[in-house]
Amino acid sequence: MHIDWFVLFCQIFNFLLLVYLLKKFLYSRIIKAMDDREAKIAARFADAEEMKAKAIEAAEIYAKRNQMLDETKERLLNEATMAAEAKRKELMDNVRQEVDQVKVRWQDMLVREQNAFFCDLRQRAAKQLYATARKALSDLADADLEERIVDEFIRRVKALDQEKSVQIRNAIRGGGNQVTIQSAFGISDQRKAQIEEVLKKQITNGFTLRYMRQPEIVSGIELRVNGHKIAWSLNEYLETLVESLTETLQKEAHAA
Amino acid sequence: MEIVSLNQISPDQVIIWSWGFIKINATILYTWLVMAILVFISWFVTRNLSSDINVSRWQHFLEVVISVIRGEISEMTKKGADNYIPLIGTLFLFICTSNVLAIVPGYVAPTSSITTTASLALCVFIAVPYYGVSRNGLFHYLKEYFQPNFIFFPFHVMGEISRTLALTVRLFGNIMSHEKVIGILLAVTPLLFPVVMQALGLLIGVIQAYIFAILSMVYIASALSAEEEHHSHSEVKKEGSSV
Repeated sequence: MHIDWFVLFCQIFNFLLLVYLLKKFLYSRIIKAMDDREAKIAARFADAEEMKAKAIEAAEIYAKRNQMLDETKERLLNEATMAAEAKRKELMDNVRQEVDQVKVRWQDMLVREQNAFFCDLRQRAAKQLYATARKALSDLADADLEERIVDEFIRRVKALDQEKSVQIRNAIRGGGNQVTIQSAFGISDQRKAQIEEVLKKQITNGFTLRYMRQPEIVSGIELRVNGHKIAWSLNEYLETLVESLTETLQKEAHAA
Repeated sequence: MEIVSLNQISPDQVIIWSWGFIKINATILYTWLVMAILVFISWFVTRNLSSDINVSRWQHFLEVVISVIRGEISEMTKKGADNYIPLIGTLFLFICTSNVLAIVPGYVAPTSSITTTASLALCVFIAVPYYGVSRNGLFHYLKEYFQPNFIFFPFHVMGEISRTLALTVRLFGNIMSHEKVIGILLAVTPLLFPVVMQALGLLIGVIQAYIFAILSMVYIASALSAEEEHHSHSEVKKEGSSV
């Protein structure tokens, strides 16, 4: 076990030299690189933490904004719903009013059309009835009926009251003492004389009598003088019949 | 018949060149070889260091080694690990490389020479008071030798010397004896078994390097921690008196 002192110090020197060289080429550089990396990583972590904090902050801000947006949206939606409901009610009211107006107009129009229809119907029915009755009466008319008509006319002249007689007398005077008797049939001279006599006796004798054939007067005879008349004809009955018929039809229409 | 060659007993005996008392033997030569390898690798790897995420594999390897050494030192000193890395790290790397290279035929580990292990142990022997004095001052360092009282001074000195001797002999004995065992086994059973022993030798070499470095750090740390206790005690006393 021999120790050579030169080799011993030489080895100490070698070791110290190695320590120096490794310190220069290895430890300082590697440690610096590792420390730099750690610093970088720490900086990155710090940045990441900062960014995370910012992100959380931003997320909170966005969440608040979202909440505000939701609230605003809900509020606007409520307002819009209420406005739409109000508008709907308004439109419904308008529509109802328009419908009512249309309904009223329609009902008016319906009533008018109904009236026009009934008027037309009445006129047609009256005309038809009139024409039928007239045709029937014309067919049935004979001398005996005409005599009875003249008798009825004479009876009516006789039945005039005092006041009516005065009115007719004044009318005759106002009308230039012209009296016209219209009839649907011809009147015999004998009957004409009876009529004139009755008139002179009942009203006045200062007039000129004139006879006219008028087929429109259905089975009748009438005296016309300046707005007054004395008459009997089937026309009156026919008109009464038509009015009665019209009234009945209208009642049935309203009931329907 | 020569069973074990001379250089397998001790590389100190293999003189390559001499001039007076100056001589270059195999121990110094292989020491230079190990130094050259370590310095070259260090220079080669660290010439293009990167502090980014993407680094070379060699840099990764060296960073792992340095990180492990740094971690081991930090566990004992708690702080200021970077001050002790050059000494402890170089001890570990030098011894480890010397021992691992023993697998190369013709190579003889410098650590199988007691001169080398003694020089390394002397360095530690000097480093312990150096770090102790530089950290805590000469007075506090010397005061530790008289703790708990002056009677213990010779024991402290003997302890210092004996643990240096222990460092020297432990490393030398392990490596030298292993190489001798390999040499003898080669003569007895030249097939397979020496290979197993070589593999075991690699393990022993790394473990011995670790033990040497760790013990050195323990010795340094003990010199530091004793003074730290003194500092902490004095701070407690100061706080107590101020209260």
